[in-house]
Amino acid sequence: MQLYDIFFFSVLFFLIGILLASLNLNILLIIVASLLAGAIFLFLGFFKKDKKNFWLAGLLIFIILGSIYYFYDDQKFKNINLSFGQQEKFEGLVVRVEKGGGQKLTVELLNQKTLVLVQVRNYPEFHYGDLINFNGTIKALDDSSYSRYLAKERISGTVDFPTIELIKSNQGNFIKAKLLALKDKTIEVFHQTLPSEKSAFLSGLTLGEKEEFSKDFKEAMAKSGTSHLVALSGYNISIIVGVIFSLFLSTFRLGRKWAFWLSILIVNLFVLMTGAEASVVRAAIMGIIALLAKETGRIYSFRNAIIFAGFLMILVNPKILTFDIGFQLSFLAVIGLVYLSPIISKLFHLKKESLFDWQENFSTTLSAQLMVAPLLISSFSYFSPLSFLTNILILSVIPITMALGFILAAIGFVFMPLALIFAWFVNIFLSYEIFIIKFFSRFNFLSIASVSYLFITFYYLILITFMFSFNIINNKFKTPITEPEIKNL
Amino acid sequence: MSNNKIILLLIFLFAFDIFLWWQVFNQPLKNRSEIYFLNVGQGDSELVTLDGNVKVLIDGGPNKSVVYELEKFLQPIDRYIDLVILSHPQTDHFTGLIDVLKRYQVGTFIFNGREADSAAFKELENVIKQKNIPVVILGEGDKIEHLNDKFIVFAPDKNSLESLSLNDACLVLQLETQKLKALFTGDTEEKTEKDLIAKYGNILQSDILKVSHHGSKYSSSDDFLKVVKPKISVIEVGKNSYGHPSNEALNRLANIGSQIFNTLQNGTLKVDLKDGKAYIFAKQ
Repeated sequence: MQLYDIFFFSVLFFLIGILLASLNLNILLIIVASLLAGAIFLFLGFFKKDKKNFWLAGLLIFIILGSIYYFYDDQKFKNINLSFGQQEKFEGLVVRVEKGGGQKLTVELLNQKTLVLVQVRNYPEFHYGDLINFNGTIKALDDSSYSRYLAKERISGTVDFPTIELIKSNQGNFIKAKLLALKDKTIEVFHQTLPSEKSAFLSGLTLGEKEEFSKDFKEAMAKSGTSHLVALSGYNISIIVGVIFSLFLSTFRLGRKWAFWLSILIVNLFVLMTGAEASVVRAAIMGIIALLAKETGRIYSFRNAIIFAGFLMILVNPKILTFDIGFQLSFLAVIGLVYLSPIISKLFHLKKESLFDWQENFSTTLSAQLMVAPLLISSFSYFSPLSFLTNILILSVIPITMALGFILAAIGFVFMPLALIFAWFVNIFLSYEIFIIKFFSRFNFLSIASVSYLFITFYYLILITFMFSFNIINNKFKTPITEPEIKNL
Repeated sequence: MSNNKIILLLIFLFAFDIFLWWQVFNQPLKNRSEIYFLNVGQGDSELVTLDGNVKVLIDGGPNKSVVYELEKFLQPIDRYIDLVILSHPQTDHFTGLIDVLKRYQVGTFIFNGREADSAAFKELENVIKQKNIPVVILGEGDKIEHLNDKFIVFAPDKNSLESLSLNDACLVLQLETQKLKALFTGDTEEKTEKDLIAKYGNILQSDILKVSHHGSKYSSSDDFLKVVKPKISVIEVGKNSYGHPSNEALNRLANIGSQIFNTLQNGTLKVDLKDGKAYIFAKQ
């Protein structure tokens, strides 16, 4: 086996271990089963003199490592010394504020070193880095899906409407506080210059901020198959990276190396600013690997970059593999973009150059949609059969809308009256995009209540078989791709 | 430039052209006034537009929904409100104003001078300070004039401003426009109504009445309604546990033969005022 294969398969087996452990299988069972299987492969290896069996036996160790890692992490989370159900006084640091229906504060308790979710009213407003005293009752998590979500976020309990006292502000990380302030300021400019729905949509496009979305608009996006636009996927990140990189190269006339490192730095800051959602982190890691490969002249392997990004994120939080829908969607979509869209382009005889790149947008949208469809249906019970058309109509103008959005914010920081006029331009694009979203959301005649796991399994088996067979027949599709299209990250 | 970019540019210029012409033709009509009773749930909010596209917002309801209502009736590129008036500092009247002040350029903020202790009111004061919005305190005897239109302030006087109940300290305004009168009473109760009758008598007569305190039974007394004689009465109310609007108030309004509308059933109500005539529309 080549080194890059060893790396890929080790990580793959490690992730399988984590998956098995997260499905609530007994840890001892996993270890014993893996050891048994390992013994069988060793035996077969000696018997048949086939090296592959030795490799398999060795890789099985990574399943054990993965499951132990998950188990250890879960135990650490559960072994927290909190007195649930008792009225008590706590001191903590606000690390995250979510608005909409009052404020939801994620608070790090200072003595217990754990997170709790505190529900408070709209006012007074709390901010990242506020040190607070609160008097309330911490409720333990139960078996609901919301509790599982909270556990994934490493939140140990919830507190409803305690009495709160602000001790001190600005006690958080200095850089993060500044970045969040910049983000708030940007959204403020959007609010002041655009009608609420448009400013909300623009905040989503540029910063992944979804706080201000009305229920109707969220549903319209889900029904038209355009929710991914505001999820700050790799698509948005790659647009930002592209603009920054060329800005450094052309406008500031920096050398390639400087432009490269500064771009990476800015992407990192951006990830921090937008709250490090799964899709953003994945895109950033893969983007950095791609840039690194380009700069060092190494071969860039999508396969390894994808699994390495997943590996890093799961190391930080093993629960996201099974319980974070955003994580799953993001990885499935990128696999679709990389492995499925070339097949679709070929099948439909699509060209690289077309009016507003509509042919390319067609193949990327269709492939991503095919990849995520069962998951989308099972978790949101929406699937838009016309989504590829909606996306073709919208995607062409998204980059320019995003660019205009950032320019609008920059003008707003300096001189508001000019921003108010500049906003007219942005308004036109946003009007068009929102019109398309709302128009196509009406054509959602497929509403599926649920899909069975059996169906999902079969679906992916067929899809994977299709991808493999096509590649083997065409013999065009090898794992390493040297010049990745940055757009597809 | 590639073909794509040229086509995109042409489409964009075309769209911008249409947009500008649309703005030109969609200018607010001259020489007429409008009053919108905004459907903001259980709370008060009224938008008055006067000749020359002058916009006056009286109260902002209990939450952000006032922003969404305003957007339905203002031009999409119109980010300016001339006057924001707060009748009294209770949350169902001012909380929505926090978002309005954050999102719109506001000419002047007007209130009765009475401050509240609540966290939300502190936030309102913060926003006013941050955005450098001029603040004016008005009370009995003051006037706001613009061309042929004017607001007359009937209350509060010095005594009622210091009353224990915030409702007694309400700004009571009468708008005179297009040969018609509209009375905005905030949350005033019977006590204030008596004072007003004693001081002003028939001057209170108004064609349109913003019914006081969401149709509470402790407001809109017989005596008061007999003096005001509103032809149109609008109750701003949402789902609530106070029993608003009360049957008592509704009966008293019916007794004087006024037409009664409410925002819970009718949604946002728009009244067009033109040369002594008023037309009322329900805008869902």
